[in-house]
Amino acid sequence: MIDVQHLTKRYGDTLAVDDISFRVNKGETLGFLGPNGAGKTTTMRILTCFMPPSSGSATVADYDIFSHSLDVRREIGYMPENVPLYPDMRVQEFLEYRARLKGVPRKSLKKRVQDVMEKTMVADVRHRIIGQLSKGYRQRVGLSEALVHDPKVLILDEPTIGLDPNQVRQVRKLIKELGGEHTVLISTHILPEVEMTCGRVIIIDHGRIAAMDTPERLMQHIKGGTTKLTLEVRGPLPQVRAAIEKISGVAKVEGRGDGVCTLTVVVEKGRDTREDIFRTVVENRWILREMKTEEVSLEDIFVHITMHEKDA
Amino acid sequence: MVKIPVLFVKELRSYFYSPIAYVVLVVFLGFNGYIFALLVSALNDPRMTVEGSAMQLFFGGTIFFYLVISIAASVITMRLIAEERKSGTIEVIMTAPVTDVDLVLSKFLGALAFYLFLWMPTLLYVVVLRRYSSGIDFGPIAAGYLGTTLLGAMFLSVGLLFSSLTKNQIVAAIGSFVVITVLWTLGIFKSFVSGTVAQGIFSYLNIFEHFDSFNKGIIDTRPLVYYISATALSLFLTVKVVESHKWR
Repeated sequence: MIDVQHLTKRYGDTLAVDDISFRVNKGETLGFLGPNGAGKTTTMRILTCFMPPSSGSATVADYDIFSHSLDVRREIGYMPENVPLYPDMRVQEFLEYRARLKGVPRKSLKKRVQDVMEKTMVADVRHRIIGQLSKGYRQRVGLSEALVHDPKVLILDEPTIGLDPNQVRQVRKLIKELGGEHTVLISTHILPEVEMTCGRVIIIDHGRIAAMDTPERLMQHIKGGTTKLTLEVRGPLPQVRAAIEKISGVAKVEGRGDGVCTLTVVVEKGRDTREDIFRTVVENRWILREMKTEEVSLEDIFVHITMHEKDA
Repeated sequence: MVKIPVLFVKELRSYFYSPIAYVVLVVFLGFNGYIFALLVSALNDPRMTVEGSAMQLFFGGTIFFYLVISIAASVITMRLIAEERKSGTIEVIMTAPVTDVDLVLSKFLGALAFYLFLWMPTLLYVVVLRRYSSGIDFGPIAAGYLGTTLLGAMFLSVGLLFSSLTKNQIVAAIGSFVVITVLWTLGIFKSFVSGTVAQGIFSYLNIFEHFDSFNKGIIDTRPLVYYISATALSLFLTVKVVESHKWR
């Protein structure tokens, strides 16, 4: 549905996007993850035909962004960062205007606007002036604007920025529902968002693609197969550490504290040492207060990859 | 092109959302009414040696006519593109299936419609004159309105061009006011230059002369060509400026 080939964008001397290539399949939700200024917004602006690339090509819904710009724009719903809206217009009036502009047939226009207002939960403010709405409502009005002509492709730039936690949850849920029906490209620098909503992630840094995979596989990749356990044991630290280090399968133990000590245990690839650890602690008449497997989050991946990039 | 009506309606409506429209409306009407009253009193005073009919003097007979149009055109157009760029709504417009020509033309037509709306109440002057004077000649009045419309179109297109050049509305208003003022005073140079070619050029650009002939009921095609081609040129440049924003 979206096919990007060797896209590059230069602003004067700065390289904002550097030779990016990727594909988004129909019905897929792709997350664009990267620190501020990584090139996410620029890439989206190129895909929405707001600005042309310096070199490279891209097609959206099989239309070339350069030669068939109007067709591309008909197929996409775009919500820019900070959601620019006309503050003087009323919600319903604005949505009807945008629907007409995007070529929604006159007959189905009222119904379409009604549906989209219900979907994004803005129907209760339909007669209010946009400028007087809260940030959360404005964000959702922006979302309904992007959805109003039932586009094949949705491109959302930082859709949850500036919302309160409840609204963030609602918007994420909505985006998740939209995947499948629509092809969705969202950008964010909030990691849990991608984990929750996206089937695939592109990590972009300094205008280049640093990694591209499913969230799960990215996590697998960074773990390198090893597992980390965190233990909390009541007992003398040196003895506890020595005993656990002897267990087969344990690669490394770090600990701190005394009386109640906290240990981090790195386990070799493919080994499960949890029961052995439990037995060892009990046999020595110490008390096991807590044992948990540490999950690698996208946050770790992100830091890992972007730091790694800088070293290289 | 099919989107122009949708955009045009939105543009025209958005004038009435902002207080500026009402301020322009009130000031424009008040000032024009004042000038009209002044003219009628002058014409009725036997000591004054003013020639012509009230409407003839009203359209282009005084410097206030040009001044009022200049200010109105600058203020009407200053926010059109500048505001969209400043607030970022330009991004939403340009990523909708709308061409740059659609956008510029509908903004221009919206401004022109609002400008004509400003003049509409002055039709009452004609009604008043008809009621209280010894018959009036409709031909010159119609020609006066035509000239006013075309002159307004030219000024508005200049204003729109300036609005596309900056994100700051005030800068746009000042810039267009200066250029518009130069446009309607250019004809004065006719008296200061020598040589038939130079005089011919300034005579061609002399808006006061144009309005003299409009007020006699003469519709000369030369000023029509001037106004229409200048309007077209400004609109063309505006489209190019809007296009060029993408490349920066």
